[in-house]
Amino acid sequence: MKKFGRGMATIMFGFGYGEGFPDHSIASIEIKEDERIVIRTAAADVGQGVITTVIQIAAEILRINPNYFEVVQGDTHKTKNSGSTSATRQTYFTGNAVKKAAEDMLANLYHYGSLEFRSNHPEIAIEDGKIYMYDDPDDYITYWEMAERVKERGEKLEAEGSFFPVTYSPDENGQADKVYVAYTFLSQVIDIEIDTDTGIIDLLDVYSAIDLGKAINPKNVEGQIEGGTVQGLGMGMMEDQVIRNGKTLNAGMTDYLVPTSVDVPKFKHYLVEEEDSEGPFGAKGVGEPTLIAAAPALANAVYDAIGVRFFDLPISPSKIKKALKEKEENS
Amino acid sequence: MTDQSKRIKDYFCKHTTRCTIEGVKKSKRFVGHDVLKADAWDKVTGDAVYPDDISFDDMLYIKIKRAVHPHAILKDIDISRAKKVQGVVDIIVAEDIPDVRQFGLIIRDQPVLIAPGEKMRYMGDALAIVVAETKEAAKKARDLIKVKVEELEVITDPFRAMEDDAPNIHPDGNIVITHHLNRGDVDTAFKDSAIVEENRYQTQFIDQLPMQNEAGVALYDERHGVVDIWAATQWLHDTQADVAQSLRLSKDQVRIIQPTIGGAFGKKEDVSVHIHLAIAAMRTGRPVKLCFTREESMITQSKRHPITIINKTGVDRDGYLTAWETKFIGDTGAYASSGPAVVHKGMYHATGPYNCPNLRGVSHAVYTNNTYAGAMRGFGTAQGAFAYEQQMDILAHKLNMDPAEFRLKNIYKKDSITPNGQQLTHSVNAEETIKRVMELSDWKGGRK
Repeated sequence: MKKFGRGMATIMFGFGYGEGFPDHSIASIEIKEDERIVIRTAAADVGQGVITTVIQIAAEILRINPNYFEVVQGDTHKTKNSGSTSATRQTYFTGNAVKKAAEDMLANLYHYGSLEFRSNHPEIAIEDGKIYMYDDPDDYITYWEMAERVKERGEKLEAEGSFFPVTYSPDENGQADKVYVAYTFLSQVIDIEIDTDTGIIDLLDVYSAIDLGKAINPKNVEGQIEGGTVQGLGMGMMEDQVIRNGKTLNAGMTDYLVPTSVDVPKFKHYLVEEEDSEGPFGAKGVGEPTLIAAAPALANAVYDAIGVRFFDLPISPSKIKKALKEKEENS
Repeated sequence: MTDQSKRIKDYFCKHTTRCTIEGVKKSKRFVGHDVLKADAWDKVTGDAVYPDDISFDDMLYIKIKRAVHPHAILKDIDISRAKKVQGVVDIIVAEDIPDVRQFGLIIRDQPVLIAPGEKMRYMGDALAIVVAETKEAAKKARDLIKVKVEELEVITDPFRAMEDDAPNIHPDGNIVITHHLNRGDVDTAFKDSAIVEENRYQTQFIDQLPMQNEAGVALYDERHGVVDIWAATQWLHDTQADVAQSLRLSKDQVRIIQPTIGGAFGKKEDVSVHIHLAIAAMRTGRPVKLCFTREESMITQSKRHPITIINKTGVDRDGYLTAWETKFIGDTGAYASSGPAVVHKGMYHATGPYNCPNLRGVSHAVYTNNTYAGAMRGFGTAQGAFAYEQQMDILAHKLNMDPAEFRLKNIYKKDSITPNGQQLTHSVNAEETIKRVMELSDWKGGRK
């Protein structure tokens, strides 16, 4: 028999290292004469999309199409510290560092622009890679020409930005004024169906609402919600590295079960975008929070479906079958 | 030589990603738009360079001989037969590298190679670095290395590890670190509570399972005294610093270049191939490659911590949380890795996003002889949420309340105070997420 169940979970996640750890990112931007804008950052793109995020942020500030951007990624001898891709911190930390570098660059475009046009800053327009006077848009110089002219002065059209917010180390009672820079919140409802004969859980629908401040790239946020949730459901119902007497019994993809595309449920989500964090454009991190609610929402859905609480992970078909058998025998 | 240097240059430049975007050309706003991922084209077409795509003509291959027992003293290691395998160039054991120091993310407790007389603490510990002309020769030689050990008690359970008579896995004892949380008066609050619910939760070992296993290539640039390493890491400069201190080099002498990273999820925070690659490249003077198999990756590199969570939660008649007592005992395995940060981060989130004035908590990260546990997406809080969100549902049912309504009653708002005593001064829209997900799912008291 198939039994329907629905469960909810709400979670929080304090992101960044916090706890007084010196957490910071450094990034730089350079405009080149050959129509390239180069961003240098050591922020590791592990697939989550930080390269794209920082390009969007810099493009927005510098008012020019993302096509012109190139990102030089992690090389200890070419980039400075951007902290780790962990703790859900890159959009907030490196995003802010790149934003600051871009703002410095924009200010310098105005500076050099005002020298070129012998004008005050408010009379200058900067957009689409062009610098001109408002009253004469046809007489412009491009960013690339500007890079050339700055080079002729023996300088570089280059900017660096850093972001280094303060947090405090908790005392012996775990207390401090600011332990994490900010928190991301997420609520999720998961609908499932359990086959009471096999104990197999069918994942039906997942509804998510996330308080993320601002989605720099909504499609990538959607990717994080779906990927994170499926990874969390793996934790909830199948993944288990079995280590007995120190030895792993299932070291391989044959015996270590992980969700595949056939397990993936349908998703609907809502982004709460209050733009009220101190991240770039009000953004908060989403990487880890998208995983956390899945296992408890699933556990609550399982209880809703069959009236059994599971306190041990994963909630595997064999555990469900065993529990249903025990329940039947006791009733 | 010219040919090689040209190719090396290629690999230094390949990690530049050019954004190629269609569809937003006319827009003046780029934040908040679905810009195509800048690295999508390279990944789809196969242009992206992963470590295993990097090759040099005279490159050597490495295999690592690993522990034969999860907790044992190495008595003897015999490489004589292995050395005779055709194509073997070098077999490096601990006595060849006496100056190399231990490494580790937070506590430097991991040996680069286990020396005779020292202990192996889990199945992933390295005993020898085998360097050969081919992968096959390296593997064959590795399997011919003979090891004698004196077996010790294998500690598989953190509760056993914490007992007085348990053997110490590391010299300073088995409890790596303990943290506390204390706010308000928990005992009085429990006495005054209408309902008190106590449960014990247990989570499991999980592999982060990035598609790409740990892999890398290294090259020693003797003229400049710099070792170049192409291998993924989630924190470039931290890995550089750890590798440099381990090898007693300056940071300038260790150059790490990120190839394309095929997923990480926390697993690539720890040093994996880096130090072994550097040692082999410097000793042989030739480019070297080391790629883990999936099996090796699962046994050797970090796991999600299994955490035992004991939660005792009180509510009053009106459904407001009164007190919360929690214990987090995390199995961090053979080495600390991120464990000293993971377990108490979980505890710091023990109540979820709910107001609770009285709180008491303790967390321990504990050594065992299991594969070490470290960072994985969620970092202790995923384990914590499995426990606190079931507590919330159980209490809602006992109060005869809609679980969503119970959550709304206790949810953080602006100026709420976290278990750490942090006042949430901005960006607190947790309540909105509950209301929105209720709308989205057409929530009716928990039933569809």
